[in-house]
Amino acid sequence: MEDLIKRTLEKIDLSRVEFADVRVTRTDNEDIYFMNGFLRGYGSSRDSVAIGVRVLLNGCWGFAGTSDLSEASLDRLVRTAVSNAEQGGKFTREPVTFPALPPLRASYHFQPEIDPFSMAKEEKIDFLGGLATRIKPQGKIVHSIVMAQFQKQQRYYLNSEGTWSHTTFYNTLPMMEVIASDGNQIQSRTWPGHMSAGRGGFELFHRQAFEANCDRIIKEATDLLSAPVITEDRADIIIGAGHLALQLHESVGHATEADRIFGMEISYAGKTFIKPSMLGKFQYGSPQVNIYSDSTDPRGMGFHPVDDEGVPGRRVDIIRDGILVNQQTSRHIAHMLGLEPSSNMKASFADDFPLVRMTNFCLAPGSGSLEQLIQDTEHGYLLDFTKTWSGDDNRNNFQFTTEIGYKIENGRITGIVKEPTYFGITQDFWNACDRVCGEEEWGFHGTFSCGKGEPGQPMLLSHGVAPARFKNINVSVKI
Amino acid sequence: MQDSIAYLQKLLASHPELQYEIREKTWATDFLRFYHSQTNYNISKLSTQLSVDIYKGKKSFSFQVDDPQPAKLEAALRDAVGVVDKLPEDPDFVDLESDLTLAPQRPVTNNIEAIPLASKTGILSRLAAAASMYDFDIFGTFICNHQTQRLVNSNGLDKSSEVSPIYLEVKAVHNKSQVTVLETFGGEDFSFFDEQDFSERLIRKIKSCSADIVDVEPGHYDVILAPRCLAEFVQYLCYGMSARSLDNHSSFFEGKVGQQVFPAFISITDDPTDPQLIRRAYGSDGHIYRPLKLIEQGVFRNFICNNYYSHKTGLPKNGNTASCLRIDAGSKTLEQMTGSVQKGLYISSLHYMNFINPRETSLTGLTRDGTFLIEDGKISKVVNNLRFTERIERILNNVLELENRCYTIPFSENYELFDIDTIKAPHALVRDFNISSSTHTI
Repeated sequence: MEDLIKRTLEKIDLSRVEFADVRVTRTDNEDIYFMNGFLRGYGSSRDSVAIGVRVLLNGCWGFAGTSDLSEASLDRLVRTAVSNAEQGGKFTREPVTFPALPPLRASYHFQPEIDPFSMAKEEKIDFLGGLATRIKPQGKIVHSIVMAQFQKQQRYYLNSEGTWSHTTFYNTLPMMEVIASDGNQIQSRTWPGHMSAGRGGFELFHRQAFEANCDRIIKEATDLLSAPVITEDRADIIIGAGHLALQLHESVGHATEADRIFGMEISYAGKTFIKPSMLGKFQYGSPQVNIYSDSTDPRGMGFHPVDDEGVPGRRVDIIRDGILVNQQTSRHIAHMLGLEPSSNMKASFADDFPLVRMTNFCLAPGSGSLEQLIQDTEHGYLLDFTKTWSGDDNRNNFQFTTEIGYKIENGRITGIVKEPTYFGITQDFWNACDRVCGEEEWGFHGTFSCGKGEPGQPMLLSHGVAPARFKNINVSVKI
Repeated sequence: MQDSIAYLQKLLASHPELQYEIREKTWATDFLRFYHSQTNYNISKLSTQLSVDIYKGKKSFSFQVDDPQPAKLEAALRDAVGVVDKLPEDPDFVDLESDLTLAPQRPVTNNIEAIPLASKTGILSRLAAAASMYDFDIFGTFICNHQTQRLVNSNGLDKSSEVSPIYLEVKAVHNKSQVTVLETFGGEDFSFFDEQDFSERLIRKIKSCSADIVDVEPGHYDVILAPRCLAEFVQYLCYGMSARSLDNHSSFFEGKVGQQVFPAFISITDDPTDPQLIRRAYGSDGHIYRPLKLIEQGVFRNFICNNYYSHKTGLPKNGNTASCLRIDAGSKTLEQMTGSVQKGLYISSLHYMNFINPRETSLTGLTRDGTFLIEDGKISKVVNNLRFTERIERILNNVLELENRCYTIPFSENYELFDIDTIKAPHALVRDFNISSSTHTI
């Protein structure tokens, strides 16, 4: 494969272009889906190949991608990428430019504890079928699913500066859900929630204690049918780690993608309320809030030795002691902002154009356990397991509903509430954070489907978080 | 690709115990993305995919091959045949689609070839120049796709379809205030694109942005929903019209076939025969896509139901996917509707909607790309983007008037493969729309 990539790069007249890179991905996927206790779908694709060529010519990007690796196709690919840059250059005002980086060679090959692609299909079916049987419709449960998505991806990268990288990753998305109905309303519970994906193989099903939580989600979904809603206007809320990962993702992660500052995502994902002048000054959160982007941590799905435009993996503080200090950038945008590139340029597959993406985007741990935080809360709610999420065009206003809320009175959980909904303005909300739990509660939570870009790219990424408390939050949304 | 299907069928002929469905798709795009009145990037992309479902009785296994060389197909089929017998059954599977009706042939222009990049950048340069007179830059996308699909199954079904959608989305953003307006074109026939009219409509919207920017308090407002907004609410409503949502008990329409659910002046049809819409020939399993009345004079008529769920639920099957929706026009002009509002809002576009409870049609989302205050029957100010928390059922029951004309609105389906749907919808005047918070930003 290295020869094919080198050959493709050599087809580009490098004396004409300012920069060029060639990427290849080879991807295996397997999806298993049980519905109501029965196997509804089992699908796989093996060695799905994609190649992409990106050139910077006359200050304009041109790109072409395909799954056809024939010589004729590669010739056409290079011609098309160059032509796209030439034509696009006729509608430009400020040419793209950035400083060169020294070449490097990188290699990393992850091995899961249990490789889902070499594991017998019967073994996977037996385990997942067992879960599906346990949560199949019963009592008030009217619908259930158990699903697994496995991905193995090899990524190759070569650019005109001489940087070469070859990596292999395994990622798994495990999930189960039950829906309860009393004939009038439905309530649902998932395990382990919508941020359940992670780096690894089949071991994630064991690590995330699926078997131990079947009865719990059946009971909680059923109990939610008769649970009250929150009646206060404002309350202190503790957000569990799975849901906090999404809160962090939507209201800090996307807001600090610097391509949004320049309007590069206006047509789809949106803008950001952040302006370059805020760097180093803006009080994004309370002093307890420390947030960083870290593509050097191999435990998360955002790990890489080199990003998709040749920048070595980096850990970059984004918010330090509550102050906004940096952004997630590309080489072009970092140059415009006078920053070092943060190693956040990623594409889902090689035939996708790389974009500024979150990698491992983390809230640093504070101290203490979740149990201690609950004990320290006089009146409030522990909210977890995302049900609905929504953020505005500027990432300034958000609203979330979780599947369940646990009512806290005098340091103890005393009951549950259904569909707890809260909203806020990003800066106010993160400044209301008075405590983040410690290392013992901290872990990675991830997704396979962060959507951005057009054509759309579902990105795999992770968030390191521990539960945190937010004071006096507006929970008065009425439908 | 033609050979790949024939080759697979030949291999499958030695397994008479199996049923199968083979789907081949090609997807090509020429994708120009622009920002600040200049190119961001140009993407050309070609994707081919062969997907196969095999069934042995009620057991099934699926595989995909992106590069369908004979050796890869043989290996994938060998693996599938080896595993399918060891899998548990799906008791609800009965048979594959057996509707062999072919859609009428129609000529399709490959718009990637018909609208070269030089034409696109020329159009964008002229629009950018027009907007710059008012200190606005343009941002957005200009996309042409060309997609083909062939579906073959063991019941003798063999159907091919081709579509080549165009999508032009221009957001004009003021360089200082960030006030944004949106104009779009979508369809398959570029002769419907009138550049001068498009430019004039964009400039008219830009001119309406010269007023002050204000915030409004949360509360219930009379609102005029632009056709894009009404169309998007109806798209979400259609989730509950699927037999799948009925089956998992999350459908608002459970038990409501034949019932009056909305005012009698609301009619919604899924109509693939309208020449101004991007047309679809077949549903996902190959059933022919025909006009289907969903809401007729306020009465819920039909669920969208494929072959699998037809067997499972007993509902009549159809090839519809709610991709060609038409919401019938009403009787008032936009000026009459606006003129009847003492204090209210004009909402141009919606953003980031998500269901809170699909059975109740409750959801939250935001306004975007132009929200305006209406005072004494006229647009008076620009409003920061707002959050709403509503039930679609309530919105449609609160519609007071529909405009007397429809507009074709394109929507990008930006998921597995970038696709484009179009919907025809009029403006709607809705009372008591629930604004639940302000974003304090434009």
